[in-house]
Amino acid sequence: MELERFSYDNRIVRNFAFATLLWGMVGMIVGLLIALQLFIPELNFSIPFLTFGRIRPLHTNAVIFAFVGNAIFMGVYHSLPRLLKTPMFSKMLSNIHFWGWQLIIVAAAITLPLGITTSKEYAELEWPIDIAITLVWVAFGINMIGTIIKRRESHIYVAIWFYIATWVTVAVLHIVNSFEIPVTFLKSYSLYAGVQDALVQWWYGHNAVAFFLTTPYLGLMYYYLPKAANRPVYSYRLSILHFWTLIFLYIWAGPHHLLYSALPDWAQSLGTVFSVMLIAPSWGGMVNGLLTLRGAWDRVRQDPVLKFMVVAVTAYGMATFEGPTLSLKNVNAIAHFTDWIIAHVHVGALGWNGFLTFGILYWLVPKLWKTDLYSKKMANVHFWIGFLGIVFYALPMWFSGITQALMWKQFNEFGILQYPNFLETVLQIVPMYIIRAFGGSLYIIGFILMLYNLIKTMKQGSFINEEVSEAPPLHNFRDPFKKGTRHRWLEGKPIYFTILALVVILIGGIVEFVPTFLIKSNIPTIASVKPYTPLELQGRDIYIREACNSCHSQLVRPFRSETERYGEYSKAGEYVYDHPFLWGSKRSGPDLHRVGGKYPNSWHYLHMENPRQISPGSTMPPYPWLLVNDLNTTTTEAKINALRKIGVPYPDGFEKVANAELVKQADQIALDLQKNGIPAEPQKEIIALIAYLQRLGTDIKANKETVSK
Amino acid sequence: MKRIISLFTIKVITAFLLFSQILMAAGEADYPENYYDKVALFLIFVIIIGFLSLVYFESKIKVVKEKQPSVFWAKFKYYLTKSTPIEKEQEVLLADHNYDGIKELDNRIPPWFSGLFYATILFSIWYMLHYHVLGTGDLQEAEYAQEVRIAEIQRAELMRSGAMINEETVTLLTEPALLESGKQIFITNCAACHAADGGGLVGPNLTDDYWIHGGGIKNVFKVVKYGVVNKGMIAWQNQLNPKQMQEVSSYVLSLHGTTPANPKAPEGTIWKEE
Repeated sequence: MELERFSYDNRIVRNFAFATLLWGMVGMIVGLLIALQLFIPELNFSIPFLTFGRIRPLHTNAVIFAFVGNAIFMGVYHSLPRLLKTPMFSKMLSNIHFWGWQLIIVAAAITLPLGITTSKEYAELEWPIDIAITLVWVAFGINMIGTIIKRRESHIYVAIWFYIATWVTVAVLHIVNSFEIPVTFLKSYSLYAGVQDALVQWWYGHNAVAFFLTTPYLGLMYYYLPKAANRPVYSYRLSILHFWTLIFLYIWAGPHHLLYSALPDWAQSLGTVFSVMLIAPSWGGMVNGLLTLRGAWDRVRQDPVLKFMVVAVTAYGMATFEGPTLSLKNVNAIAHFTDWIIAHVHVGALGWNGFLTFGILYWLVPKLWKTDLYSKKMANVHFWIGFLGIVFYALPMWFSGITQALMWKQFNEFGILQYPNFLETVLQIVPMYIIRAFGGSLYIIGFILMLYNLIKTMKQGSFINEEVSEAPPLHNFRDPFKKGTRHRWLEGKPIYFTILALVVILIGGIVEFVPTFLIKSNIPTIASVKPYTPLELQGRDIYIREACNSCHSQLVRPFRSETERYGEYSKAGEYVYDHPFLWGSKRSGPDLHRVGGKYPNSWHYLHMENPRQISPGSTMPPYPWLLVNDLNTTTTEAKINALRKIGVPYPDGFEKVANAELVKQADQIALDLQKNGIPAEPQKEIIALIAYLQRLGTDIKANKETVSK
Repeated sequence: MKRIISLFTIKVITAFLLFSQILMAAGEADYPENYYDKVALFLIFVIIIGFLSLVYFESKIKVVKEKQPSVFWAKFKYYLTKSTPIEKEQEVLLADHNYDGIKELDNRIPPWFSGLFYATILFSIWYMLHYHVLGTGDLQEAEYAQEVRIAEIQRAELMRSGAMINEETVTLLTEPALLESGKQIFITNCAACHAADGGGLVGPNLTDDYWIHGGGIKNVFKVVKYGVVNKGMIAWQNQLNPKQMQEVSSYVLSLHGTTPANPKAPEGTIWKEE
């Protein structure tokens, strides 16, 4: 048989590797900064661009989409052509993909600190960037599918199944979650409101973890682990079983982020049971990975590459057991909104994603530069420092999460809250925050060691731009159905495979979305709930810009410990005009859904200027610029029009008088502040924010327990 | 293998820590002042010991003697894993699977794995039936209602036994120790609006003869407890217990007649104790 000669493009792999290293460093440094800010709030230097709310999304986006994202593409552009014995479909598309993705990251790094955000977690980027992501993702897809079609290998390997599932699902997730109505070039409102927005967002958010941090990494594991260990994959049929069950079940599990919320009960229960059913399929990946190392364990002791991979796979197993545990109602009642969740995601991110990436880099860089690793010893030191870093990160966060939750729930002998002052529960866990920052620093030191080690390796080797290889052409193979299993047949039909994967991942989403959107009784309406006034709306957008929802939830759960602390628990009907929803996912500060009317205007004014002049010891950053900046009212008309289009019942022509209404309400608040000795001016941003905060949760607030004379 | 064992040890330690914390915290209503510093030190200690032992295990290369495993154990293991031994793996090697040099075995799905999967599926069916078909489980609203009902019964009990002080029963305290404790509460919670010496800032002057909502222990207690929300006074009943409210109210009244540094102009009417 005639052999065909062709070559693999190594430059694109190298570029993605450089990007992985660069953005990994940036993402982790930002992470360390926000970890420090949690106990030294002055570290925002009173600069808006460095304040926790704005750079926390920068950290998450940088590590997920920049660090892990580039690592995925590095692995795909390296392994895919080799598994299919063909160069990538189009070098131009490869380059568009690379540079497009880096531009998107740069755009994120600029817009997020500027407060340009949709506020939806892991989907904070505004609509023009969303469109750019879609285009780049399509370029990646064409490139990948094109490569698969012109392959020289009759069947596609399990790693490629995972790449395909990743591509189709991320495309669906991104598009559905990004439906938003543009107001200006850099501002949009989510098409969905309240409960529905929450459901779509956490369907997205959960599956961003599933299909961006998990499935592509399983694909990478299936290529690099057997390669590095030089052992056959343990079980082909286990691969088939856990692949299909994993992608089918994962997509249903999103509602476990919304337990005890205003989401309908049946949807919450689906989230719980599908999370529990996920244990076995997730462990299938871990088992197949670890058992592939049978007969190679002696080398795991010596070889840093295998060491990193073993801990990565083990961390994956731990995190995927912890996840379903956290999805149980009674565990979630304690863990939700606390640091336990932070511990959970970091076992996954630092252990699974980080360590697998490091293992791959230590294996790949010497291969690409045709040399040996500069220092094996240094890699071993990196391993131990990194491992210690994870332990120092996760343990204190578990501890602080459980502690704080139990303090929130503790009643004293009089039947009232033992720790009614939220701040008290924060100050208790500050020592844990300090240890966590130490753990994070260790992890970063390890990363720097790796950078040095890899650069030295590159310097001593010589990079091969194009790697020449040869293989026979793919001839038409007939009648495969009779020779193998049905699945084997499917592996020879990548387009059918892709379509089947798409169908499988659509089922869960459709079953959960359609009833929530169509059946009225799922979101009972409340007559007294009215749209926001123009000033409140502008204040809400400041709340979004400063990402107050990074630390404050707007969701009082139906527990006595929460209704005593915050007020009546939150109802689905209260959020019908919330585009987007702002429930939050972490309480570094107290819930704000019932904060309206709780404190005088002057309290909020002084608190925003510097939280510590009202609450000594508070860890909230100061927001002095809100007192100085003038509110931009030129957008009011566009905002009213946009919201009316997506169903908020502002009367016709209201947009024309909206700014007059706004000024009227602002004057009232300013007057009240002036009466209390605060020289406030009505046109400042703080006035709008106060108006919004004072409105929160008041539509149904019962005033029965207050003296009103 | 040793590494896996030590990893396992770490996991066990972690799980134990988690569990013991739940137990400890559940039994302990009050946290002593320096509890957390101790815990932090303990955590650091455990981590360092665990880490050292891991590194120690790694550096110690020991020749492991092949022990003859018991027949029963071997059978049991085989029953759980149905794994083809590594010496015989050629039998399950898939001949036509070769992807860039990666080969695949076709070991059977481990029975423990299938068992786990079936168990989670059964659990899920039971869960949905329990909560949504048979209606035997309490959904969140019912759960909340139950929680509130129990709390109300307990509160009624407390009321009956007189353990709770309210605006009808409250009395003025004069013991210096109790007033001192009231002073601490005042400085933490009230000074931001009323000034540390009671002279008034956002809130009114508390040292003069004038009261907006009436003077005397009962009225002051009532204002502290329920607040005057439309004038900016916060309701404290969910944050302070009745004893604390009694102490701080008594302290406020003890300020009468003192001379603050920057007294706010009088508001309200002159109050005379009947």
